[in-house]
Amino acid sequence: MEVNIVGPKIYYEIPIDIPLLGRPQISETLVVSWIVMLIITLLCIFLTRNLKVSNITKRQAFAEMLVETADKFVIGNMGEKFSYMIPFVAALFATSVLSNLISLIGLRSPTADINTEAAWAIVVFIMITAQKIKSSGFGGYLKGFTQPIPVMTPFNVLSELATPISMACRHFGNILSGVVINALIYGSLALASSALLGLIPGAVGAFLSHVPILAVGLPAVLSVYFDWFSGCMQAFIFCMLTTMYIANAAEG
Amino acid sequence: MGNQDLVTIIPWTFIAQICNLFIQMLLIKKFLFNPIREILAKRKAAADAEIMDATRAKEEAEAIKAEYEANIQNAHDKANEILTSAQKMAQQQSEQIIKDASDEAVALKAKAEADIALEKRKAVNEIKDEIGSIAMEIAGKVIEREICEEDHTKLIDEFIENVGEQA
Repeated sequence: MEVNIVGPKIYYEIPIDIPLLGRPQISETLVVSWIVMLIITLLCIFLTRNLKVSNITKRQAFAEMLVETADKFVIGNMGEKFSYMIPFVAALFATSVLSNLISLIGLRSPTADINTEAAWAIVVFIMITAQKIKSSGFGGYLKGFTQPIPVMTPFNVLSELATPISMACRHFGNILSGVVINALIYGSLALASSALLGLIPGAVGAFLSHVPILAVGLPAVLSVYFDWFSGCMQAFIFCMLTTMYIANAAEG
Repeated sequence: MGNQDLVTIIPWTFIAQICNLFIQMLLIKKFLFNPIREILAKRKAAADAEIMDATRAKEEAEAIKAEYEANIQNAHDKANEILTSAQKMAQQQSEQIIKDASDEAVALKAKAEADIALEKRKAVNEIKDEIGSIAMEIAGKVIEREICEEDHTKLIDEFIENVGEQA
């Protein structure tokens, strides 16, 4: 038996070569991302139906709680002047959590593709740089690389570039490790059950050995960590780092 | 269709994911944040209005209370005034009555004394007359002749007068 861990499927490739960017392709990552976006948007619409000023429903209370939590998170980490960042951070968190958790229904997480995290990290990196330039000017921003001594410049540039790369790779690595472990667990459990049930003699054993009966139960327990905990944790860490880096950048 | 590599950067996917993130941001803003913020603002406005109303009502109530207290104070003052004046009047009246009564008593006493004096004089006169006639009768019997009462009245009176003075 062989366990294959491969990247997302490519559903369709537009056969036009665009220089530098290659052929536009619709991959599993994109399709599942759209599904995630659809789910989030429908959820938002569902939560904000029939809003009332008083005598509110549980649904509305939940929606208000979500908004207030996002407000508290962003304003608590970044301060009042960054309140325009609230929808961005909320979108980042919601997309990340849902992308991580959608593997529970058998789809491939968009976050198990480095392109997704790289895209987010680049956006955050541009925001960080923009804040730095805004707070200390372009000259000040460049001069910041030569601090405390000019010899440090290459290391400073490296550490600056390491920020988005580490953010992207941390998230990607955690989710991908879940995918890999899941594949390994399912593969090994299938092997184990076929070995166990193959002990039954005759045609019954030959048939039952193809049923991975041991794969019931244990993966669900592991999924509590690899999907639920890791998924929520990584989304939270990514948003936390985003707010922290941007707030720090604004302080100069 | 094949699979892409496990770890690779596909520029189109990368760009699409950036766009997806911003589209998602706009969608969340439009469908979650804006309606909820609107309703929160409405609720805040309603709460503010209610607090304003309550404050105004309280102020009104306090004004009314102050008015009431002033009114009650006025009423108390007036009642005290009325009571004082009534007491004063009653005292004056009682003094008047007592004075009248004592005046009347004095007058009555004076009248009674005058009456008594009159009666006394009357009685004295009657007794004088009686004694005069008795004396005349006795004298008539003594001298056996009729004495003209009119002739000797003056004499008898003089006599009685003298007797009275000596007695």
